[in-house]
Amino acid sequence: MQDFALYPFDPPGDILALRTDLRAWLAINQPEGDIVERANCWASFDTGFSRALGAAGYIGMTLPARYGGGDRHPLERYVVIEELLAAGAPVGAHWIADRQTGPLILRYGSEEQRQRYLPGIARGELYACIGLSEPGAGSDLAAVRTTARETAEGWRISGQKIWTTGAHLSHVMLALVRTEEGSERNAGLSQFLVDLDTPGITIRPIIDMAGNHDFNEVFFDDALVPHGALVGERGQGWKQVTAELGLERSGPERYLSSHALFAALIDAAGADPDPAVAALIGELAAEMWTLRQLSMSTAAKLAAGEDPMVEASVVKELGNSFEQDMPRRIQAVVTSGWEDPDDLARLLRALLIASPSFSLRGGTREVIRGIIARGLGLR
Amino acid sequence: MSTARDMLCDTASAVFAEAATAGIAPVEAAGFALLLVPEADGGFGGDWGDLNAVLKIAGVMAPDLPVAEHILSGLGEMSPALHAAATVSLMAGAMEQALALSVEHVNTRQQFGRPLGKFQAVQQSLAVMACEVRAVDAAAGAMAARLDAAGFTDADFEIAAAKLRANRAVGVVTAIAHQVHGAIGFTQEYDLNRVTIPLMRWRGAHGNDAHWAGILGRQVASLGGRGLWETLTARAV
Ligand SMILES: Cc1cc2nc3c(=O)[nH]c(=O)nc-3n(C[C@H](O)[C@H](O)[C@H](O)COP(=O)(O)OP(=O)(O)OC[C@H]3O[C@@H](n4cnc5c(N)ncnc54)[C@H](O)[C@@H]3O)c2cc1C
Repeated sequence: MQDFALYPFDPPGDILALRTDLRAWLAINQPEGDIVERANCWASFDTGFSRALGAAGYIGMTLPARYGGGDRHPLERYVVIEELLAAGAPVGAHWIADRQTGPLILRYGSEEQRQRYLPGIARGELYACIGLSEPGAGSDLAAVRTTARETAEGWRISGQKIWTTGAHLSHVMLALVRTEEGSERNAGLSQFLVDLDTPGITIRPIIDMAGNHDFNEVFFDDALVPHGALVGERGQGWKQVTAELGLERSGPERYLSSHALFAALIDAAGADPDPAVAALIGELAAEMWTLRQLSMSTAAKLAAGEDPMVEASVVKELGNSFEQDMPRRIQAVVTSGWEDPDDLARLLRALLIASPSFSLRGGTREVIRGIIARGLGLR
Repeated sequence: MSTARDMLCDTASAVFAEAATAGIAPVEAAGFALLLVPEADGGFGGDWGDLNAVLKIAGVMAPDLPVAEHILSGLGEMSPALHAAATVSLMAGAMEQALALSVEHVNTRQQFGRPLGKFQAVQQSLAVMACEVRAVDAAAGAMAARLDAAGFTDADFEIAAAKLRANRAVGVVTAIAHQVHGAIGFTQEYDLNRVTIPLMRWRGAHGNDAHWAGILGRQVASLGGRGLWETLTARAV
């Protein structure tokens, strides 16, 4: 197994001031909103909030200034992200573009793509979705069958993506498709930036078990995209996607998505809590504190240019379990009824219903454990 | 890791290896009671990060000897919280050893014509175990960092959280380590019990789960929901 020494989280600049400024900004600019929206807040779309956040310089922070970014250190961005999540701010609209699409375009995109997309991302106006999963390609992502065929006018894309979060609210999809006819598995795949208003693309809602419209089916019927839509190198899509997923797995969202529920539990418990509730609060606090250390250490390694694939997976696995168990364990000790109107009861119900998705999105629990096992030298 | 700490760990490994058969005397003779004593007072001038590194080794090589007690005695400080902190480091080391033994075993032992480690069920179990081991190591490291940054009177939150987290990992770690070992791991001769029995003991020593969960839970409840976040961020970064 790789060396797992705790990596020091040492951002440059005045982090205290960064936090204080952002908290003050949020006190003025965060919409009151419903408490339930504050849980799982990276799924809450609020374009007005995203624009304001972008204007204040809190999106695209690590992108170079020439593309509208903030030229800030990745760990400064980390601090901003954890503050936004802990406050339950509605960051869903710009979330994917800021977290992974922007950095991927910077790393692999052409100059034209950078100029076309990055400034809008940094302004909090241009939103992206992730086009990986297909009906026949879930955990087995290398089974992707959507194809792009090169023609004189550009690339013709045919096929279908599914479970695409936010496709109906996004401007662009970063899609993984097969560009080499007859290629198999993870060879012959490429990434494309597909503008979602391209003729030949149909987006259909899929309503989730909470009754929300977050994810979608996206159909491509010979949709024509320009030659310049290819990202990075033709045929290198698998390698690029793997790097992208590393950005997806270890962030503070892996343990802070349900923070509104934990905070509500603490507030409901009061200063002299019931012993069973106090014990649960203690256990959850210990786990949260530990996860924060792990996540920060992994972020610091990423920022130092290392590729902590296994550690990122450890953060996701432990974070998912923490967040999935939290509502179950809280339900076991509080008296809230399913239909009760108070904050704690409503958050509890919402997160019990949302929690099965935590160990599916971004790689299933079994897939993540497989990555960790490989890191242990078992595969 | 600094070279000074590397050298310290090399010394610790050699001394604890000797102590494993000879008892605590070689540890005393090597002057480990001076580890945390400032250089100005004739000590080694080590920090809590050094102590964490040394005790992780002790947790593997000399889990039955009072190494932590001996080192802390040099401080003349017998605060119960410090013993809990030291125990976390011992546990982190012992858990890493349990994982290393398990990985080695499943890669060597063959059944059904292949190493156990090729079976997905075994891989998934060990991945779960590795996450727990990693969490405890991170908790021990972060706790030591706080002790170094703020001194032991202001590391109560971290010590409570780290000991509780380590305690909670014991069940999973010992259960999976023994399960993947099969009967050989249940023998007195095989090394696994040399770390799993101490882990079982340490879970109850210097505060079991209920003890620390109650203390931490009441502390956090008094902070309030928002106060918890403000406290966490004020205490580290
Ligand atoms: C809320 C949500 C949002 C999502 N958003 C997006 C998105 O924006 N873009 C996108 O591309 N995708 C998205 N997804 C899809 C997600 O990536 C897939 O659900 C995931 O990859 C699993 O694929 P699947 O659902 O087809 O399940 P399957 O692959 O069919 O798996 C079903 C079960 O079998 C297990 N399994 C599968 N193969 C193995 C194996 N070899 N060994 C052991 N167990 C195995 C899995 O772990 C899982 O438990 C989203 C999913 C959810 C729930």
